[in-house]
Amino acid sequence: MAPEPEEEERPMRVVIAEDHALLREGIVALLREHDFDVVAQAEDGEGLLRIVGGHQPDLAIVDVRLPPTFTDEGLRAAIAARDRHPGLSVLVLSQYVEPVYTAELLESGQGGVGYLLKERVGDVRGFLDAIRRVAAGGTALDREVVAELVRGRDAGGGALLDGLTPREREVLTLMAEGRTNAAIAEALVVTPKAVEKHVSNLFAKLDLPVGHGDHRRVLAVLAFLRATD
Amino acid sequence: MPAEDQTTPLAAPGPPVGERPAAGAPDAPAAGPAAAPGLPLHLALASVSGLVVTLVWGLTGAGYFWPMWVWFALAVTVAVHAISHEAFGGPRDRSPADHRLRVAGAIVGTFLAGQIVIWAMSGGGYFWPIWPLMAIGTAFVATMLILNRDGLRWARARQLAERVDVLTRTRSGALDVQAAELRRIERDLHDGAQARLVALSMQLGRAEQRLERSGDEATRTLVLGAQRDATAAIAELRDLARGIAPPILTDRGLVAAVQALARRCAIPVGVDGDVPRRPLPVVESAAYFVVSEALTNAAKHAGDAVARVRLSQAGGRLTVEIADDGRGGADPAGAGLMGLRRRVEALDGTLVVEQPPQGGTIVLAELPDGT
Repeated sequence: MAPEPEEEERPMRVVIAEDHALLREGIVALLREHDFDVVAQAEDGEGLLRIVGGHQPDLAIVDVRLPPTFTDEGLRAAIAARDRHPGLSVLVLSQYVEPVYTAELLESGQGGVGYLLKERVGDVRGFLDAIRRVAAGGTALDREVVAELVRGRDAGGGALLDGLTPREREVLTLMAEGRTNAAIAEALVVTPKAVEKHVSNLFAKLDLPVGHGDHRRVLAVLAFLRATD
Repeated sequence: MPAEDQTTPLAAPGPPVGERPAAGAPDAPAAGPAAAPGLPLHLALASVSGLVVTLVWGLTGAGYFWPMWVWFALAVTVAVHAISHEAFGGPRDRSPADHRLRVAGAIVGTFLAGQIVIWAMSGGGYFWPIWPLMAIGTAFVATMLILNRDGLRWARARQLAERVDVLTRTRSGALDVQAAELRRIERDLHDGAQARLVALSMQLGRAEQRLERSGDEATRTLVLGAQRDATAAIAELRDLARGIAPPILTDRGLVAAVQALARRCAIPVGVDGDVPRRPLPVVESAAYFVVSEALTNAAKHAGDAVARVRLSQAGGRLTVEIADDGRGGADPAGAGLMGLRRRVEALDGTLVVEQPPQGGTIVLAELPDGT
């Protein structure tokens, strides 16, 4: 690609590691359609580390399961890439929910983190939204992952969660997915003001530190959900 | 030399029963020392005694050859020694029936040879040994028939043991093949159908966006419906693949998978795991599903209980123990546990459910790990 003149906003630079050609090309086409700059593609973990090192992208989109082992190769490569390039944001696509893997990913590096089920790519708007959130250093967890976390928390120390109203639980779940107040308000069809009220209520009930900024808030919620007291 | 002539018949006991001469038989003193330390000494003493009496006979004028009777008596003692050694101290690499047959044959042979020698030494003439020969022969044949029945049983037992070996081998082979086949199906689901459906769902998503821009609501609704179906199909395939083997089990092994299971369980679960060598996939899956079912039961019946899972591996066996301190109530004959027992037993393992009187439930499974 010929170097294009910088526009007012620099397009987001993305790399992809996905062994399945059909899917990889689909994602690339989708991203290019929406003005992302897909700078490199890889088919395995080694390749991911190479292109991340070579291109210094804003975001890496990685399939958990990659050759040659077809196990959690992609996840391990993503974590290794974050170790080497601490600011790197990673969005992992997986065909299954595995809270252990999500936890490992959240604990690595400092950039944004996403863990989505593969079929979410079908929801184009939601997928692009997640990509932007993660690339900006935020979080995008699949609702199934969050549901697992909530189930685990219910089992581990359920008493605290029992004190929440159903609406507050919904808000908690959406926050854990990494959504902003505005997005939560849109999803629940309520006003942002109402969301703010729910958020401050549930933070008080769960005795969570009120952080500044969406991302810190997400981390507090996730830390709470992952604790097992 | 008369002396040699008389000991030779004593070597005869061997032939009626086997091709291999018994260790320690009089004609094989060279092979004797290790197996029968007393026998060569006996043989040597007997030979010396024989030579001495023969010498005495020669010195006293060499009349009637009476030393042959001394030789004969000495040969009898050696033969009895050899037979008793064979009977009580000989090698035991044969079946008991075979062994007894050899001993009986040796006794009978020695006896018959002794008769013939006595007959020959007392001048031949009317062959009176014919009568004892016939009687003993008949008795021997009868013994042989009885012993042989025993021998048949032995052969049958050996046949059965071989059959069990073959069945064990082929069954575990079949299970390996089945496990490999299941994993292949699981991989195909992921690489084939599932990936294609994901790609399809994404194409539909892109189409839906364009339709939204162009304002064709009716078509957009159709596309959204198709996309929902594709998403549902992906979820169904995922559940299917998960039922074969949860990904974390394949990726990280039994201990990690059980820890993940414990974290997800509705009651607190502690895990002690030490499985240094990865068992065969089929064994790993069976052990995993035993833990999964036992923990589900514990959470269902155990109330406020806590559970503990122990995984260990020693001597080629994998042991899985799930204990809770709830009020019991697991039904060992229930569908879940029965299915698991069959699964474990098919791998030549065992599964027991104990409900001690002081409360709680212990599920214990032991499986050969196949390594």
